[in-house]
Amino acid sequence: MNNKPRIAFFDFTGCEGCQLTVIDSLENHPELLEAVDIVQFREAMSEKDDDFSIAFIEGSCTRSSDEKRLEKIREQAALVIALGACAHLGGVNAVRNIQPLESVRRCVYGEKAEVYETSIAKPIGDVISIDGFIPGCPIDPEEFIRGVKRLLQGNRPLIPDYPVCIECKLRENACLFQRGKVCLGPITRAGCGALCPSLGVGCEGCRGLIPNPNITWLKEVMAEHGQSSERISAKMGLFMTNQILESEVIDVES
Amino acid sequence: MKPILAEKMKLLSIYQPSTMLVSRVESVTELEKLITIELPEGGSFQHRPGQFVEVSLLGVGEAPISISSSPSRTTNSFELCVRRVGSVTNAIHALSPGDLIGIRGPFGNGFPMERFRGKDLLFAPGGLGLAPLRSLINEVIDDRGNFGRVVILYGARHPSELLFRDELETWKERDDVELHVTVDRPDEYWKGKVGVITTLFYDIQIHPRNTVAVTCGPPVMYRYVIMELLGKSVPEGNIWLSLERRMKCGVGKCGHCQMGSIYTCLDGPVFSYSQIKHLEEALS
Amino acid sequence: MTLKILPKKALPAWLDGLHANYRLVGPRAKQENFVFDVIQNAEDLRLDYNTTILPPKKVLLPQQETILQFDTSKDFHQVEPVFEDTPTVLFGVHTCDMHAINLMDQVFGQGYPDAHYQTRRQHTAIVTLECLNPCTEFCFCKSMETLSVPEGFDLHITDLGNVLAIEIGSGQGLTLLQHAKMVRDAGPKDYQHLQDVMSEKWPRFAYQLDFDITELPSLIALSYKTEVWDSLGDRCLGCGICNVVCPTCNCFDVIDEVDFDLQSGSRYRIWDSCQLDRFCSVAGGHDFRSSRANRLRHRFLHKFKYQPETYKIVGCVGCGRCAQECLVHISPVDVLNELYRRQVPFASIEQEVLV
Repeated sequence: MNNKPRIAFFDFTGCEGCQLTVIDSLENHPELLEAVDIVQFREAMSEKDDDFSIAFIEGSCTRSSDEKRLEKIREQAALVIALGACAHLGGVNAVRNIQPLESVRRCVYGEKAEVYETSIAKPIGDVISIDGFIPGCPIDPEEFIRGVKRLLQGNRPLIPDYPVCIECKLRENACLFQRGKVCLGPITRAGCGALCPSLGVGCEGCRGLIPNPNITWLKEVMAEHGQSSERISAKMGLFMTNQILESEVIDVES
Repeated sequence: MKPILAEKMKLLSIYQPSTMLVSRVESVTELEKLITIELPEGGSFQHRPGQFVEVSLLGVGEAPISISSSPSRTTNSFELCVRRVGSVTNAIHALSPGDLIGIRGPFGNGFPMERFRGKDLLFAPGGLGLAPLRSLINEVIDDRGNFGRVVILYGARHPSELLFRDELETWKERDDVELHVTVDRPDEYWKGKVGVITTLFYDIQIHPRNTVAVTCGPPVMYRYVIMELLGKSVPEGNIWLSLERRMKCGVGKCGHCQMGSIYTCLDGPVFSYSQIKHLEEALS
Repeated sequence: MTLKILPKKALPAWLDGLHANYRLVGPRAKQENFVFDVIQNAEDLRLDYNTTILPPKKVLLPQQETILQFDTSKDFHQVEPVFEDTPTVLFGVHTCDMHAINLMDQVFGQGYPDAHYQTRRQHTAIVTLECLNPCTEFCFCKSMETLSVPEGFDLHITDLGNVLAIEIGSGQGLTLLQHAKMVRDAGPKDYQHLQDVMSEKWPRFAYQLDFDITELPSLIALSYKTEVWDSLGDRCLGCGICNVVCPTCNCFDVIDEVDFDLQSGSRYRIWDSCQLDRFCSVAGGHDFRSSRANRLRHRFLHKFKYQPETYKIVGCVGCGRCAQECLVHISPVDVLNELYRRQVPFASIEQEVLV
């Protein structure tokens, strides 16, 4: 009998780029397909089997109907892993969370606003318990592969808890701030190999905050480099709206 | 010793584990297992109570674990009491007899037995802190004549978390060992004392100058136990602690276990209170 | 010590000779900065570099280094250590970085010697370079007494304009020099030239510390409780790049990676940083140095007190890389001078009382 772990992929609100990255990662690691059985993957195959033990979930939860679907996945899967920034953090979708929902709905759907169900964009970990996450927009294919191997060993994916700055400096990039650019590297979780800064683009924070980030002083640094407070908020809100809102609540409470 | 030609000498890595055999796996509590590890034929492993080994599960990682067996009771094996808290310990829990495991060490200083001889001994383990102290306690019991009184004050959170219950019974039955056990949160069957470990100190009378106290437990426990001991006038140099740190390499290179200028893996993990009381980070 | 003279125009041919026989690593340009890297073409070597982003320690302790390879698929565990012994010439090392390498030699050589580091080190010849100008506004080598080359180099070069003056520090250095043509012994004029260049260089460097480094251990010890650490801790981003760019930081983490069979793979080490959150966390989750202020203080204590006490070498060589990279402008010079400033009134009050 086949004892391979059965893996399923699910998508919620997102661009499906992380699922594409999974497909990409198979090109370099076809062994993955020998190590596991993929039983559900809408982006890549038409067969569908509801008997799975590991669920990768892409996309954020934006509707109450999503919540029921998530709960059902949770009931079936021994391990649930958030795949990518939307599932992990709420993602870009969460930009709307700082605006009144009604105006967001009107802006997007116009006259048909009443027809569509929508709500704030939540990370799936706010709806069901998760056993790990593969961060990023999109995910890093190598990190995904390493994460799967860890899961097969019975452990959670090992995701760095240090900032992008470390990886950036290990690659000997000149600091983007010194080149007149703005970067969220000091507060953003590493693991991407500082991909964007290495290409001269400031980190947008897609992998979420490190534990205990010094957001206050990074804002000072950004202001020192000529950024208005609106620009700073916009930059930090692209991927991390939910996390920044949370950290502000904690700041006020303490 | 025979001279060895340099070019013929194989380079050795201090990070290379020796492969050993898991010969026995016992559940101790829901969270802890006792693993017996057998040396390969001709292997030698001499440890002192209080030392630790780096346990390798190749492919998962490495973790420092204190040795729980007494050198007096084992010759070609040793025991580790392992709590499941991370990926390595998780993998250790999945082992069965016959599996192989990587071991480096023993590392660290261990307890200074020579300074304990002739003294009254007061052991105060809390929770998993009994794991390293079991090694020391059994070493003392097996050499009972060379020590004064032996008092064990053991605290756990819940009766189900008490380690080595059979052994606790044998200690209790001895008339040359005084064992007192307490739990913070009793269940309906618990008939013993209730309260944190420090409550056990209230009913104990000791000869302070002739007493050596040894404690090991969760970080939060040390300050309170030390306060009790100082309250009983045990000299600071007679209070011994085994400290937990992230001893990643075990050989003083990786930097994780440093407290002040001290490398816990080399200079510890056993310290007297007088050695570390000035180090703000030691008991934080 | 013998002094040799090499005309500068003979340098490229010498470098080509070295490149043909060794892995040649030296400073080269990367955008507007410099990095130590393998030198394939002689013209890529930039002896006029100011400083590099990462120190040359990366040649001896790579950012990521496999230490073991294993295969547990058989009924025995196959575990093999990995040692790297490519003959290497590390060319153009500034004197501060050579001091740092000497300290690293101690750290990895004492107690339990680390054969991974030592193998690399034994197969690396080092050619140091006399600094004639301060490299950046952040360097404070003169204060740290690292502006002169320490022992340990194989060759030491001073740029005399049209020629290079080369001191030979070891037999290995002599071997390296055999790859050069047009080398001659230095004559009286060369010595005079060297003397002039050296005496002109010193005034170009300023003392940045307001006190002597022999006072460092006690200054740091007496400053253990000052609120300076708290205000620095507020500011510090905890990003850890001060550690990454430091030529003496040697902390590392160890990680296993397996193949899909979950049985074979490798164990490697990567640079770690004591300024990072969770550097001191244990498996149960307790963090023994959880505040940024305490982590920063630990870094200073380690460099300026513990290491001088243990190795008789100060753990900071004044290269200024950390200050240059720090986004919130935490500079050892400023911090140390501030600690000293706070000590002075205290000391003078005590003196008044004594009088």
